[in-house]
Amino acid sequence: MEPVSADFEKELALLREKLEEAEDVRRAITHGEVDAFVVGPGGSGRVLLLANAYQRYRQLVERMQQGAVTATANGHILFANQRFSDMIGVPLAQLYTAPLESYVGVSDRARLSAFLMVSARESQVEVELGRRDGSTIPVRMSLASFADGYASLLVTDMRPLQWPSMAVDALDSIRSSLEKLNQDLATEAAARGSLRNISEEINGLARMIDEMIDVEGKAKPAG
Amino acid sequence: MTPANGTVGEKWNLRLYTAGQSPKSLAALDNLKRVCEEHLPGRYSIEVVDLLKNPRLAKDDQIVAIPTLVRKLPEPLRRIVGDLSDTERTLVGLQLRQIK
Repeated sequence: MEPVSADFEKELALLREKLEEAEDVRRAITHGEVDAFVVGPGGSGRVLLLANAYQRYRQLVERMQQGAVTATANGHILFANQRFSDMIGVPLAQLYTAPLESYVGVSDRARLSAFLMVSARESQVEVELGRRDGSTIPVRMSLASFADGYASLLVTDMRPLQWPSMAVDALDSIRSSLEKLNQDLATEAAARGSLRNISEEINGLARMIDEMIDVEGKAKPAG
Repeated sequence: MTPANGTVGEKWNLRLYTAGQSPKSLAALDNLKRVCEEHLPGRYSIEVVDLLKNPRLAKDDQIVAIPTLVRKLPEPLRRIVGDLSDTERTLVGLQLRQIK
């Protein structure tokens, strides 16, 4: 039997190592332990994620309180989250491939088109969104990313928050009712009426606070 | 446990290639941290390389699937592909435990 050369042994060890590595990759794939691959010549290309790797981001985007829209450069909607759908009162299914500008006030459409065309440079634009019921909402569209010719936008409702001023108004009303009660205490019957009014106002404020808490709770993503 | 490689006090330099916050990437980092804390406390460093941010870095260690762990030190270089959920396999791959 011929003696095995050192070079041959070295090459054999190298091949064994490569085989082990290839086997490890195969094992990891078949066991579902990887969710992304590097593709392209010499490993210098790009990273492809398997579909389930996006789930975490999807949940985040779906539950956040800002609208999210991905649109082509010519403004066709490729993706929208539930919040955006709620903002304009149009079901999600009807939004896909619809022109984004059709949900924007006529006077803002040219600015929106210009924004989408140059969105790689412009970071935000303020427009009026038209709701299905005919009302409008002022929003700020901010560029979150621009990749592969698609613009991903965050849509922020610019209306001032209504709850704080309503709560302050309700408290003011209770204060004035208490002042009236002080004056009415001289006559018992009038005082009872004032007490009833205050009780109703407090109940109304409590309901308002409950609704505020409910809105806040819905705004928080489940853990 | 039978230590198979590395002497006591030797510094372990590990590099984990990830794809952003993909579930397997997060699981791999979590599993790696746990293994290191248990078997290499105080003598390891983990470098996380996010290939979504820098895909070209995959070339350095010939990465094809993500996540992949590379043991840079102690030599020789070792690679383990996957989320490291099989602790036994991870320990063998890192040569912290001999093959039974």
